Amino acid sequence: MAKISAPKNNREFIDACVASGDAVRIKQEVDWDNEAGAIVRRVCELGEAAPFMENIKDYPGFSYFGAPLSTYRRMAIALGMDPASTLPQIGAEYLKRTNSEPIAPVIVDRRDAPCKENILLGDDVDLCKLPVPLVHDGDGGRYVGTWHGVITKHPVRGDVNWGMYRQMMWDGRTMSGAVFPFSDLGKTLTDYYLPRGEGCPFATAIGLSPLAAMAACAPSPIPEPELTGMLAGEAVRLVKCETNDLEVPADAEIIIEGMILPDYKVEEGPFGEYTGYRTSPRDFRVTFRVDAITYRNNATMTISNMGVPQDEGQLLRSFSLGLELEKLLKSQGIPVTGVYMHPRSTHHMMIVGVKPTYAGIAMQIAQLAFGSKLGPWFHMVMVVDDQTDIFNWDEVYHAFCTRCNPERGIHVFKNTTGTALYPHATPHERKYSIGSKVLFDCLWPVDWDKTNDVPTVVSFKNVYPKDIQEKVVNNWADYGFRGAKK
Amino acid sequence: MANKWEVFVMDLGELAEGKELELTIRTLNDGLHKYTYQRAKVEVSSKLDQFADSLQVRLGRGQLSDRKFSIRVIERVERLPAQYR
Ligand SMILES: Cc1cc2nc3c(=O)[nH]c(=O)nc-3n(C[C@H](O)[C@H](O)[C@H](O)COP(=O)(O)O)c2cc1C
Ligand SMILES: [Mn+2]
Repeated sequence: MAKISAPKNNREFIDACVASGDAVRIKQEVDWDNEAGAIVRRVCELGEAAPFMENIKDYPGFSYFGAPLSTYRRMAIALGMDPASTLPQIGAEYLKRTNSEPIAPVIVDRRDAPCKENILLGDDVDLCKLPVPLVHDGDGGRYVGTWHGVITKHPVRGDVNWGMYRQMMWDGRTMSGAVFPFSDLGKTLTDYYLPRGEGCPFATAIGLSPLAAMAACAPSPIPEPELTGMLAGEAVRLVKCETNDLEVPADAEIIIEGMILPDYKVEEGPFGEYTGYRTSPRDFRVTFRVDAITYRNNATMTISNMGVPQDEGQLLRSFSLGLELEKLLKSQGIPVTGVYMHPRSTHHMMIVGVKPTYAGIAMQIAQLAFGSKLGPWFHMVMVVDDQTDIFNWDEVYHAFCTRCNPERGIHVFKNTTGTALYPHATPHERKYSIGSKVLFDCLWPVDWDKTNDVPTVVSFKNVYPKDIQEKVVNNWADYGFRGAKK
Repeated sequence: MANKWEVFVMDLGELAEGKELELTIRTLNDGLHKYTYQRAKVEVSSKLDQFADSLQVRLGRGQLSDRKFSIRVIERVERLPAQYR
């Protein structure tokens, strides 16, 4: 495999984005109280360059990097690719790298770990010493973790998990967050720590390398340190925590160490979410007690501002959920041509292209998709044939509106897993993560006669002989056409 | 100096007047600790000059209520189990 040269940490990533015009340096003072959040939100809605805010009110020496991966260009830069790479090219590269051999992390000495440049312990620990932003006006609190990784380890199996689970500052020593019961951390808590009444050590890493952040929010079964290594083409550098046995990325900007308490919960939310709404209610959620804070000199806090499309939550999660489903379906031998989620579906609809070679193939796809680890995060699967371009919404929408039979093509799945964030779910369903799903089968039934029953697509490329098509295309300008005005 | 506080409620009925309430309130005083929470025994009044401190109210999804209150913080309540303090 060709050597990958991707930014190794958040600083190299910012430099690369500034150099390509995909980030702007903001020198003037920005307020952590709403202003920084408003800048990042507007950047997401306009598809602008990422804001690197170098002067934060009340917090000299700290900076913010907002909307780190809210465009495909920045995603390509993060992967060490040409910023102009197309989405299918970026997707192919993700599949190639994540199908390669896992690359184990290496442990470095604390002297080689920039995240240890400043260490706060004991009475010095106070989250308010970090520039924790109020991301949206009316949020339940200032959010420490919006673009980060929560690091934990299963005490028996030993597997390490880095997961992006939002964390709100409740007070200077306490955070609370929405760790869903079906997430890797949620399962470790319900499987081990909660029944025993034991505290679960955690470390939150903020200002990760962009690929580590990508891994922390990718629904891959591969443990995230290895996954990051595979994406980067080299081992991640880890260093031991100050107050527990976990290991954290040595180049992260900020590390928060502590314990998830088994028998104490504080209120979390409401918060602006990836669906484009504030949906999940304020509730007593998983509570993190902080024992230590370490950070680099001139630390940069990364901020994602979730809301209406499009932010990195939608962009990246659509990307990785789609590609992980593609891997799963291919592993089961299903002849899929591709899987795609439009970011503006706020990763709620899977579009799957498949060669319809046998009966019930759409149902098999939906059952695998909804039944997999990915399933709780979306509630619609739309299956189209291999002639439909899954990336072209006009084609997909046309197939949906014409081929999906209202009686036989729509299949509802009841009593599935949902999330507290589903805007269409009832308050009761949100509280207990109860969901429902739907399959839109847009395939022609296999028992229809291909010659006489299946309608013919009437398009330029489908109905005219090749020689006529060529003649018309070649003569186009001579006929007097100058290109349609869009 | 008078303090500014904020509370989240699902229903304004949670803010009964004329009796002691236990609420989770956050400070809106300017400075590094703005928006941090504490649990406290309080008394609230819709008469804005009843108590020195002011209380602003937000509803379930963060909407700012136009009802304003004055508030007296009687004492802090520590819910955190002793073994973690
Ligand atoms: C910005 C952002 C915030 C997220 N917040 C949460 C959250 O609060 N709780 C949660 O369970 N998942 C959240 N997710 C989704 C998880 O990061 C995602 O499911 C990830 O794959 C974690 O996987 P794991 O539990 O399989 O390790 C968030 C994702 C993003 C991009
Ligand atoms: Mn995981």
